Amino acid sequence: MKNSTLLFSALPAALLLSACNTTATESKPAAAGQLAATPLPVISPVLPADAQFHEPFSLESLQHDFDVFSWESFVALNWPAASVGVADTSVNIGQKPGAVTVWQTYKESRDIFLPDGATPPPWGKDLPPPSVCGDQDLPVLNQIAKVPNNVLDESAEPFQTGPLVDQNGQYTRFEILTNDVMFNYIAEKNLYSKSGQEAFGKKADFPFGTDSQVGSIMLKASWKVLGKNDNPEKFHTTRAYVYDNPDEHAGVKAACKLQTVGLVGFHIGTKLKGNPQWIWSTFEHVDNAPTQGEAINKKHYNYYKPNCTDCAAVNTPPPRPWNPGNPYTQPSQVMRVIALDKPTKELNASYQAALEKLVPGSVWVNYELISTQWPTKAGSKTDPTGAPAPAFLANTTLETYIQGTVRQTSSSCIQCHNNATMTSGKFSDFTYLLQRAQ
Amino acid sequence: MDIMSTFVGLSSVLTGFAQDILAPRLDTTNIKNLYLQSWTENIAQETGDANLVNTILQQYAELQAAGKSDEEIGEQLMNGNNSSAFVLACQKLIFLWYMGAWPDVNAQPGTETGGVTTSSLLSAESYTSGLVWQVMQAHPMGDSNYRYGYWAEQPPALSDYTGN
Repeated sequence: MKNSTLLFSALPAALLLSACNTTATESKPAAAGQLAATPLPVISPVLPADAQFHEPFSLESLQHDFDVFSWESFVALNWPAASVGVADTSVNIGQKPGAVTVWQTYKESRDIFLPDGATPPPWGKDLPPPSVCGDQDLPVLNQIAKVPNNVLDESAEPFQTGPLVDQNGQYTRFEILTNDVMFNYIAEKNLYSKSGQEAFGKKADFPFGTDSQVGSIMLKASWKVLGKNDNPEKFHTTRAYVYDNPDEHAGVKAACKLQTVGLVGFHIGTKLKGNPQWIWSTFEHVDNAPTQGEAINKKHYNYYKPNCTDCAAVNTPPPRPWNPGNPYTQPSQVMRVIALDKPTKELNASYQAALEKLVPGSVWVNYELISTQWPTKAGSKTDPTGAPAPAFLANTTLETYIQGTVRQTSSSCIQCHNNATMTSGKFSDFTYLLQRAQ
Repeated sequence: MDIMSTFVGLSSVLTGFAQDILAPRLDTTNIKNLYLQSWTENIAQETGDANLVNTILQQYAELQAAGKSDEEIGEQLMNGNNSSAFVLACQKLIFLWYMGAWPDVNAQPGTETGGVTTSSLLSAESYTSGLVWQVMQAHPMGDSNYRYGYWAEQPPALSDYTGN
């Protein structure tokens, strides 16, 4: 690793970064027979504050380094939690199936943006579940301090592009969360309410990480209700209130059911020093969908039925009206449009091998990085998107219907979030969350 | 002579944009590849001289190696003893970088306009990559990287766009 700041002062910001945290990326030799001669990455509960870059710099080398950062973040965020936002270092990731992870203790959007712009409860405290859920008793999943009130209250993908329906005819559920750094900024600046945003009167600027301090992180997760033909041992699962929110679509009646759900998609947005466009990592369950142009070699996918003659057209949303309360909806027929590139596949294999070695049978070997989007010209004065690489990035569970390579139309994290504003119309620093303020 | 680096150097002299704007070290579009290919093929086809592009690149490389300034190189290329086909090829390269399109020049000497130039876009990416948007300190129609409300703010300085 080099401190690139000293060597390449004229290069884009992504090249100027270096990090102190070596814990998470030191390599150790692989066991005999595992990915011959390729050192396995260390699996660490330490959330990386920054990425580490290795010379010689190129698009490919930097993509690799950001992909490693993504995996380090994924592992640390999915480590079992000891308390709110803190990893339980007495166990390994994968050792306690169904354990609440670090990120699951973060602040959900429904606990931040309250009716009438009310002040949200402080970090570590959440609202009770909707009253319709009230008579059901969510079991205490572990000993963490946070009230375990997992509520999945969203059934539509971002921008209302449509719901995603699994092979059992059930709507996929979504949630958005922030870490303490991001939440505290929102709370301290009163950005949880429309009036607070109006009084703030300027652009949001969430804290970025330093060499040793983690900065703002925002997360999106997608979950499927586990049912027929789903093997719970292949998913990170949790018990959650699956809530049909009448505010989402006309005709939806409030309903709530305690369900076992499996993680199928995971976005991580991290604000790093020198990268005001944030770094965007996206992961999926390996059985979600086949890739166009590649072999369809699994009998079961979460969102694709092989050899189907009467399925919905590929990557088209179900017809309206949308109602997650319907007992059955025709499943979505999903395919990945942009294939994972070879280096990312190799990195995935390396991390999956390390996870398997750490805890044989770990559910986490069933997850893969799709890619990491980062700005190649982070400091550009003329292009606030910073020329992202790769240009397009989509998660088949979160951007199912806007995959592709058409500018301004197909999914690109930075390009899209670059347009995010608060309710006041001021730039909200790459998050649409602040639009939820009342 | 490294063809691509010579092509980028020549393009910088002709367009007035810095080389690292035309061909950033971390180049996500690699539009330069498309332009070099298009320029080479079209000039060969239109002039019947498969070596003309190489002649231009060679002359640029020699002037550059001789320590000439960009301005002097531009003068030599466009106003020296070069043929009209040579000069027109250089002009078409400028057009290509600015418009992302290949020009078809129909000169009509003696008319009020002197003729008419039509053009064909190379690709959607060449459209958005056109330098014309940069010198306008604006964005292509239907494709903006600016943020909501940008129209109420002063654009960055022209030098930020050109790199000079």
